[in-house]
Amino acid sequence: MTFTSAHLVALLPIVVLGGAAIVVLLLAAFSPSRRVTTGATAIALAATLATLPIAARVIPLDVSPLIRIDGAALLYTGLLVACTLGVLGLSTAYLKGLGESVGELCILLVTAALGAAVLSASSHFASLFLGIELVSVSLFALLAYARDEKPNLEASLKYVILSGVSSAFLLFGIALVYTELGTLEFARIAELVPLESASSVYIAGGLGFVIAGIAFKMSLVPFHLWTPDVYQGAPAPITAFLATVSKGAVFVVLLRYFMLADAYAYRPLIVALSLLAGASMLLGNVLALLQNNVKRILAYSSIAHIGYLLVAFIAGGAVAIESASYYLAAYLASSIGAFGVVAILSSGVEGETQTLREYRGLYWRRPWLAAVFSLMLLSLAGIPLTMGFVAKFYVVAASIDASLWVLLALVIVGSGIGLFYYLRVLVTLYLEPDDVTPDGARAAAAPSGHVVLAVASVAVIWLGIFPAQLIDVVRALAFTNG
Amino acid sequence: MLLTLIAALPFVGSIAAAFLPAGARNAAAWLAGVVAVACLALVALLYPGVQAGGVETFRFEWLPQFGLDLYFRMDGFAWLFALLVSLMGALVVLYARYYMSPEDPVPRFFAFLLAFMGAMLGVVLSGNLIQIVVFWELTSFTSFMLIAYWYHLPDARRAARMSVTVTVAGGLCLLMGVLMIGEIVGSYDLDDVLVAGDVLRAHPWYGALLILIALGVLTKSAQFPFHFWLPQAMTAPTPVSAYLHSATMVKAGVFLLARLWPALAGTNLWFWIIASAGAASLLVGAFSATFQRDTKGVLAYSTISHLGLITMLLGMNSELALVAAVFHMMNHATFKASLFMAAGIVQHETGTRDMKRLGGLARSMPITAAVATVAAAAMAGVPLLNGFLSKEMFFAEAIVVGRSLGMSITLPTIALLAGVFSVAYSLRFVHQVFFTEPSHDLPKPGHEPTRGMIVPGALLVVACLLVGVLPAVTVGPVLETAMMSILGPELPEYRLAIWHGFTLPLVMSFIALAGGITFYVLLLARGAVMSPTPILSRLNAARMFDVANVVVVRGAAKLSHLFFTRRLQSQLLAIVGIALVAGVAAFGSTGWSAGENPLTPIDPLFTLLWVVGAACAVGAAQQAKFHRLAALIMLGGAGLVTCLTFAWFSAPDLALTQIAVEVVTVVLLLLGLRWLPRRIAFDDPRRKTPRARGRRARDFLLAVAAGCGTAALAFAVLTRPQVSDLPGYFLRNSLEVAGGRNVVNVILVDFRSFDTLGEITVVAIVALIVYALLRRFRPAPESIDVPKAQRADPAPLTTAVDAPLPRGYMRLPAVLVRLIGPMAGLVSVYFLLRGHQAPGGGFVGGLVMASAVIVQYMVGGTMWVESRLRIHPQVWIALGMIGAGTAGIAAWFAGKPFLSALAADLHLPLIGDVHLSTVLLFDLGVYMLVIGAVVLMLVALAHQSLRSPRRVPVEPSRESAEETDEAEAVV
Repeated sequence: MTFTSAHLVALLPIVVLGGAAIVVLLLAAFSPSRRVTTGATAIALAATLATLPIAARVIPLDVSPLIRIDGAALLYTGLLVACTLGVLGLSTAYLKGLGESVGELCILLVTAALGAAVLSASSHFASLFLGIELVSVSLFALLAYARDEKPNLEASLKYVILSGVSSAFLLFGIALVYTELGTLEFARIAELVPLESASSVYIAGGLGFVIAGIAFKMSLVPFHLWTPDVYQGAPAPITAFLATVSKGAVFVVLLRYFMLADAYAYRPLIVALSLLAGASMLLGNVLALLQNNVKRILAYSSIAHIGYLLVAFIAGGAVAIESASYYLAAYLASSIGAFGVVAILSSGVEGETQTLREYRGLYWRRPWLAAVFSLMLLSLAGIPLTMGFVAKFYVVAASIDASLWVLLALVIVGSGIGLFYYLRVLVTLYLEPDDVTPDGARAAAAPSGHVVLAVASVAVIWLGIFPAQLIDVVRALAFTNG
Repeated sequence: MLLTLIAALPFVGSIAAAFLPAGARNAAAWLAGVVAVACLALVALLYPGVQAGGVETFRFEWLPQFGLDLYFRMDGFAWLFALLVSLMGALVVLYARYYMSPEDPVPRFFAFLLAFMGAMLGVVLSGNLIQIVVFWELTSFTSFMLIAYWYHLPDARRAARMSVTVTVAGGLCLLMGVLMIGEIVGSYDLDDVLVAGDVLRAHPWYGALLILIALGVLTKSAQFPFHFWLPQAMTAPTPVSAYLHSATMVKAGVFLLARLWPALAGTNLWFWIIASAGAASLLVGAFSATFQRDTKGVLAYSTISHLGLITMLLGMNSELALVAAVFHMMNHATFKASLFMAAGIVQHETGTRDMKRLGGLARSMPITAAVATVAAAAMAGVPLLNGFLSKEMFFAEAIVVGRSLGMSITLPTIALLAGVFSVAYSLRFVHQVFFTEPSHDLPKPGHEPTRGMIVPGALLVVACLLVGVLPAVTVGPVLETAMMSILGPELPEYRLAIWHGFTLPLVMSFIALAGGITFYVLLLARGAVMSPTPILSRLNAARMFDVANVVVVRGAAKLSHLFFTRRLQSQLLAIVGIALVAGVAAFGSTGWSAGENPLTPIDPLFTLLWVVGAACAVGAAQQAKFHRLAALIMLGGAGLVTCLTFAWFSAPDLALTQIAVEVVTVVLLLLGLRWLPRRIAFDDPRRKTPRARGRRARDFLLAVAAGCGTAALAFAVLTRPQVSDLPGYFLRNSLEVAGGRNVVNVILVDFRSFDTLGEITVVAIVALIVYALLRRFRPAPESIDVPKAQRADPAPLTTAVDAPLPRGYMRLPAVLVRLIGPMAGLVSVYFLLRGHQAPGGGFVGGLVMASAVIVQYMVGGTMWVESRLRIHPQVWIALGMIGAGTAGIAAWFAGKPFLSALAADLHLPLIGDVHLSTVLLFDLGVYMLVIGAVVLMLVALAHQSLRSPRRVPVEPSRESAEETDEAEAVV
């Protein structure tokens, strides 16, 4: 393969992110100022976003068998990098209260974003694994960032060990697929699988293990056990990252695998994913009912949401990509907002502001945060005039389109249960504060966090009322993969 | 455009009201009033447009990709409802101005009220189904806010949550049904859907979508069996009940039924679902209303009953019944709202809604009594009032519609029975509150309210009268317009008049009146009026809802117990178990089979070797928790077996590498062991409990199963023909292309040198990280006591800088180890240099050298070694990186790609032929880096012993964050 300038242009987002990691590393090492490091990181991430239109001029393009830059890749890279930017803003606000240094966090966020970008453009199992590990390994350290806090360490340790196990599954699965087909390229798999799928158990088993590994990263039931613990223990902005970028990137690579390898034709895989999605929607929602910890509620709700997302995805066809993309965007924006509120309220508060009790009467103390939180909860619940509604509408429409009645029923039931616990949190925000309510007002205010919340809120409302704009972008980009 | 304005105005007003200060009672009321009146005026303005079957529309592109627009559409029927909503809105605003107490945050109330009004107008004016659902859900949420307005009352919160759960869940069903309609028709526009009735009814999905839509509609209109939320919602402020629970929100359900009537009605299924739900609500509501103690409770159940009547009419599949239904929607709204207002006045002035305490208020509040009496008469169906007219139409339809004999008896019987009850509860409501003996048990002495409170109710009663006396003049044209928009220009014959002649329906009306009065008198005589509703009180649906709630929560608790654990071990167990099951499922279904490759013969000696290795591995796992040193030694045994295996199969280079790796890792682990928390003794009693034994047995079985599974898979894969011939490629090309006989080394430094470069970078980073992490680490106090063995026999080891050789048995190893140093160095360089052709290489060489250094540390002690060691690990790491990098870049100068090998064969005097290559430089880099990295880690570990232990930390014990008990039900 000859490497032309077009290839370089297509790779620009990834190149910029990679370069940014080095620059930020050096800055963090030699510049004492927090402001310089975070500023440079933010600029680097923004620059990555700015390169997307440039890269869009040469797509679709295969940059080596590992990476395929097409519209979908750019779209998802954009979404995930934007989320990372949001997490950066929240982290800055959060760490300010905590008094931790911020440099390492910036580096790790950039490398994780790099992993997400690689996943968004992956067209090969090797780059899939590389991307997943880039994200995961960065997360190991991020999860334990406030390393004097016991919950942080516990969360990180659990994630390291369980993530290692799941990566082992993933690798084993990839190896099995390779022994059968002799290739790791998604597109080549598409050519080979239909011929052999009838006979080969290695493909079934191999893809099964791959799905298990991926399901772990997306925390689908029954691979979800780590989720609530890790979400609860991790620093709140990192929880946001875990819930958005980490999950989103893995979902995106799954989507790309299905598109490139034409895996929709392969029934066992669809059946397996349907089971995972159904179980996630049901259990995620039911288990969320019981929680009295806001982070755990959001953790279970995120499990359910990935289930909904998978339903859109399983539906298949053009609508699937469109609806899954919109759902992903809605989920990302709402989650960043919801966890963002938790992060800002937890900044500098020992043990974070987590229990539902501490949120009682938030409206009377921090009206703006309570309003944002309400909006995000409503969006997650799928209430009209928010992105969440249009997203849920998409999922339901897609599943009707594909006649997925059982899954559709589960979506509906799950949404009903979801409503219940979202409202429970929502109502708590507006209750009269009682005397024992700890004062969340101690949490230090940092402008960057509020900016992130404002942007997320505007996105959730604006794109909820005028979804056509986003859908146009999705359509223009997601279908250029040729 | 005016249409959008109607829908948008209330929302704008709502936002404006929300920003008013909490005390701005009058301003908020004025604002709300002006908005409501403006909407009313706009609606009135549009009447000419819709009069003769005309339709006003306004379209705004929203989601063109889905064919979804923001589409407002007003025909006669929508106009009628828009009028109802805005007119009632205006009256309720007036009423609420006086009803709400100054202590309440009144602007918030009006903000929610206006938002609700906007949502409701949105429902009736929407021109596409999705939009209807959107506004529909909005009404649910605004009603939630309104019911929970007095959120300090736990009952209000509970009721609000119940109502919103039921109606929103119904809304989701509705959404599903609507999407199915859209899928069938190909459009969500009402214009298209309403004319596609035949397609819809013939479609196989018809049954499903009808059930879904019915679920949405019945929950919203509080129909049996979903009626329970409405009586609970009576905790809302009375203006809310008057507005939402009589005139508007609960009407949304029947509104939609009527709206979709042309598209969906006309089948038996429709009749069975809709009419039977209606009939059940009619009876249950009327019967329950008779026995309520709370004034608003009577009205709530009567609303259920009247809505049941409407639903039943809609379900009858007859055009005339449809007319009657629409007519009754209007009538019910007028008298019921008026009654709610009266009940609110009574509560406001006397402070109670308990009918047992109320009584004889006609004397102190004559006007209210008059208004309430007339309205109640309308509700009972007394002639000359509007309720009579529509109820008579209902009786007429009940008689006509029944096609079979059973039906033609059942329907009129139900109708008559409901009529009797309805008379009874109307009578009771008025009699108990106003006309019994005056009560002296009231919290406040009742007196006539301010004019503003009585006027809205009075106006409505006047409307009842007017419609009742002059139906054809007052509502005739409006009703006709509305009906034309549903049924088209050809309407069925119907006549709005008081007197239709002496007909069966009229007889039924009178029977109902007489029966109702008799029934009430009988009940009074038996004193049974205030008892809980007979029969039905056992079937308390609200209680069932709560029970269901508890069941769900308990079930969730059970599930969470089953499916969740905080313990890492259990989580791992679950994941491995699931993977095992999945693997067995995948391979079990098609059967596992070995490939066709010929197997190598089994050598008993080799088998024995592996039995030993396996035993070591199992032993290591078994001892890991109790005796770490033993476990580590056994791990080393398993590693040795691996090395021997490599050697056995003629891979000395691999074996060499493996053994070096084994040694270094075991030693580093050994050094790290000391800092782990105290181990559990092997004879610890905790180990002996049956539970612990069971757990270990289970884990053992799972591990064996997973191991066997993986082995079986590996066996199957290895015995199959290889898809790609990588080994062959390397074997063929190693010498030819890369000029090296040691294939492993050639792969490392040539074919895959880029990977190696990455890997050594990682090794360097890991070493630095270990160093950085351990730099400030202090061992925990509980893990620093001297091991048992050393306590028993203190080793004669000194670690001072200038210590002489130790005495005693340690002298021998000390001497040996110091001798090993230079020899190991020599061997390592030898390995490095010959690596390309024979077993060896930079990696192995580096490890050999590093192990020599490690041994020095172990025997000589940190101080002693470091005062003599000339290796600065960071420098060696850096030099290694630079060396490897230079080797790569050198290729550029020769015009070749990065890391290509450049080789030259020199003939040197005395030494002979020397093969020089950049590969050697690269290998040198690897060599130095490995030494540097290992030593750096070693330094980090070793320095622990020089540091004083950490002080015992005093940690504030934070309560466990997990609180899964449901004790604190916040909402």
